[in-house]
Amino acid sequence: MAGSLVLELDSHIYRLEAVQKAAYRFIDRLTVLISERDGGPIVCEIEPIAGGTTLFDILLADFKRELLDQQLRSKIKAETEPVRNLILAYAFSRSGLQQ
Amino acid sequence: MLTLSGAVLATNASKGDTKRQLFSLSTNPNLPSPIKSQKAFLVSSGNEVSDGFRHYIVFNVKPERLPNEAPYTIVGDEFRYFGDKDVVAIGNGRIRCLYRASSSHNSILLTEQCNNYCLMCSQPPKRVSDPWLLEEALELIRLIPRETQSLGITGGEPTLLGDGLIELLRLTRNWLPHTSVHLLSNGRAFADAQFAKKYAAVSHHDLMLGIPVYSCDPTRHDYVVQARGAFDETIRGILNLKQLNQRVEIRVVIHKQTYQGLLDLAEFIARNLLFVDHVALMGLETTGFTRANMDALWIDPAEYKGELGKTVRKLRNYGIRASVYNHPLCLVNSDAEQCYVKSISDWKNEYAPECTMCSRRNECGGFFLSGIQYGYSKHITPFP
Amino acid sequence: MSKFQRLDFYRSQTGRYHLLPFRFERVGDGEVVVTNSAGEFAYLTPGKLKALVSHTLPVTDPDYTLLRSRHFIREEDDAASLELLALKVRTRLSRLRDFTNLHLFVVTLRCDHSCHYCQVSRKTEDKAAFDMTPETASKALDFVFRSPNNAVKIEFQGGEPLLNFPLIRHIVLDAESRNLDFKKNLQFVISTTLSLATDTILEFCRDHNIHLSSSLDGPEDLHNKNRPRPGRDSHARFVEGLSRARDMVGYDSVSALMTTSPASIGRVRDIIDEYLRLGFGSIFLRHLSPYGFALKTKSFHEYNAETWLDFYREGMDYIIALNESGTRFVEHYSALVLTKMLTSNDPGFIDLMNPSGAGIAAIVFNYDGDVYASDESRMLHEMGDSSFRLGNIHKNTYEEVFTSDALLSTLEDSFTLSIPMCADCAFEPWCGADPVYHHARYGDILGRKPESEFCKRMMGTIKYLLNAMKDAQTREIFDRWVNKC
Ligand code: SF4
Ligand code: SF4
Repeated sequence: MAGSLVLELDSHIYRLEAVQKAAYRFIDRLTVLISERDGGPIVCEIEPIAGGTTLFDILLADFKRELLDQQLRSKIKAETEPVRNLILAYAFSRSGLQQ
Repeated sequence: MLTLSGAVLATNASKGDTKRQLFSLSTNPNLPSPIKSQKAFLVSSGNEVSDGFRHYIVFNVKPERLPNEAPYTIVGDEFRYFGDKDVVAIGNGRIRCLYRASSSHNSILLTEQCNNYCLMCSQPPKRVSDPWLLEEALELIRLIPRETQSLGITGGEPTLLGDGLIELLRLTRNWLPHTSVHLLSNGRAFADAQFAKKYAAVSHHDLMLGIPVYSCDPTRHDYVVQARGAFDETIRGILNLKQLNQRVEIRVVIHKQTYQGLLDLAEFIARNLLFVDHVALMGLETTGFTRANMDALWIDPAEYKGELGKTVRKLRNYGIRASVYNHPLCLVNSDAEQCYVKSISDWKNEYAPECTMCSRRNECGGFFLSGIQYGYSKHITPFP
Repeated sequence: MSKFQRLDFYRSQTGRYHLLPFRFERVGDGEVVVTNSAGEFAYLTPGKLKALVSHTLPVTDPDYTLLRSRHFIREEDDAASLELLALKVRTRLSRLRDFTNLHLFVVTLRCDHSCHYCQVSRKTEDKAAFDMTPETASKALDFVFRSPNNAVKIEFQGGEPLLNFPLIRHIVLDAESRNLDFKKNLQFVISTTLSLATDTILEFCRDHNIHLSSSLDGPEDLHNKNRPRPGRDSHARFVEGLSRARDMVGYDSVSALMTTSPASIGRVRDIIDEYLRLGFGSIFLRHLSPYGFALKTKSFHEYNAETWLDFYREGMDYIIALNESGTRFVEHYSALVLTKMLTSNDPGFIDLMNPSGAGIAAIVFNYDGDVYASDESRMLHEMGDSSFRLGNIHKNTYEEVFTSDALLSTLEDSFTLSIPMCADCAFEPWCGADPVYHHARYGDILGRKPESEFCKRMMGTIKYLLNAMKDAQTREIFDRWVNKC
């Protein structure tokens, strides 16, 4: 039942960081080896962890969805980073209403 | 319903002397003369009349017993309610009652101008500048009995007077140190931290600022007050005020545009403005602009009973003090009843014909006269 | 032709909006929960989420309104949202500045019980070896009164602290007399099984407002199984002690803590019923602490996060039903997490603090003068791992202890905002870092979250709570829990 799979991701669409984070989230279910060639695609070699109970296909579908989610997350993060810092600075500087 | 102002029937003031004057009234003919000379005597049937008062107010006809040459004003029976220590303004052939010693709902109108234009404004704003109102108010503060327990300050938008408002508040603090003051404002001016600081610097002993917030959706709030960006300024105003430890009450008028967002608003307050001192949930009064916008505003309170109950419970669960005003008692669910206040100002409240049978009438605030006139809930149910 | 404008007039005419910092997690089919840094949340469909992030959510969409008023997006001129958000974040973080409030004094390691999962206590008569000395206690009090916090709580731990009651009495009296000058808000707690609570002890507690934090694991058979002592009478002694303590010290001065042992699994209703029977208004469905106690014993491995979650969920279902039918009963673990979800306050429970509460919310003085960052850390030490030992009061100064590497690196490393996975997790505002746990279990402070039992437990708890409060009545019950009314 187990197998392995190589996934090639367009590096214009997927950021390496997002792919790494997706892989991290699956650390208990999948082994994902990530490599990136200059200008080329991001390559993921995916293998299920031995002894897992979930079907590889399902895991794979979940993993792909996670990739999209991570991509979305990194977009949100990039866009909101400045305001996040602003809020933190503000939060630490002003005298509070509730001590 | 009391008549607060009207034409005088006659006066012996010389023609040229139509300048408005404020008088504190007295019914005591035995006052020492230094005090008499500052007061107007209210001549009512039967009471003795002594000379030496600055002015005399008489009803319908000039009585024989009035001292010769004494300046007097004759008014109609609609002003029979005048009493000792009330304050009135006379001038230009009119008389206005500015303060009633027997009432606990006195408020001072500071201006009729406003930078909001609320759909349901009961005191529709005017464009003309009215600085005389502030002048009058400054004079009034000095004439109000010093034992007065509470006093309201309203507009229009009182903060449009800027430093004038600050001056008035300072005077109130100095002349009425035992009086609690309730100021109504849309709060926008306090978004200016400098103004908020000036306000706080008055350091009034007992001042509550009532600020309306109609929705947690800025768009909807702006729509209700008909001013773009108002929500943002109002909220920032509240934050500035609370940062300076000023007491703030949030006031919500419930109508067709606001009742659906009531619970969300309560949650917004619990999450963001937990530190406010009070939340007032108020029924709609059918005066002023409301009548022009009846279709957009009117909703039978019976229809939002559930919403109101949930809102009150939410606020209470978060430890926020809340009160329900301007509602017939029979249209409030029992869970909201603990916050029910019999509130409609005494010169405004009325009861419907249905109410005659009601056993809880004396706990109930009833209706605004305008409500009785222009339509009220179809669901009035007298308590057995 | 009215002089009034319509609602649409006040909507943004450009449709442009900015995203505010938020995170999301899929929670069910076709459902995504989004959270902001103040712990507020909303549900969206995946489609709406995509529209939101690609700036195509229409201003007329009800979700647009919701997201704007809960501070997930703002329009160009919305300045108040930034202020409010900052204020809420600030309120949540304000715990950090409160510094040490809870001071644990391990007055003895000796104990009259021999619980399976406890590796710390000793069954011995050797007072000299395992009791704290008055000299050590006095030095520890020096530290206590240097805490910048105005509220100071001193909690006596063991072993069974009542075995060294003379020292407790000594510390209480000494602290009270020192406090005449310091004027701090001083509170005392004794963590005890109540099995040795004599009338004299209880009278002392009454006269000095000492709170008793006791242990009740469930019905008699279960409790006695978990807590063996000579005579197999732990439960009976507890019940008897409880009733006397309530009489003498006060009903609300005695609380009980529960430990979920492997034997508890499957018996959550029995346990709750026992709490009800004995007149308690709340329970803490605690998972078995993995630290010093149980980590290296068999017990700990006998149930995992999933098993505990089943236990927890069954218990919560029961407790919610109790509340719905009019019996007020609070589950504290949920209440802690819910406080973060439903209010802008942080409850400051040490396991769920971010950054870690270690060394900030609690400081432990061991019987021998060693200082630890938390009770768990000292248990870890008893097992031979001293990573979290901050120093010793006989050898180190106050400054040395509080700037020790063990403390500072724990703090830094535990900031969940900087932990992989937690940094992107939508539940992070409601979660905590628990570095000691991860160190104990996985040998590094951060832990690998996907494998972490802590993370599984948190995710499970949060998903349960999110789902439960979709019911309006349950939500109202939760509102009361988090506001303690
Ligand atoms: S019947 Fe009339 S008096 Fe009675 S509660 Fe209703 S409105 Fe009030
Ligand atoms: S421990 Fe798990 S649930 Fe908690 S913030 Fe980290 S990833 Fe999220």
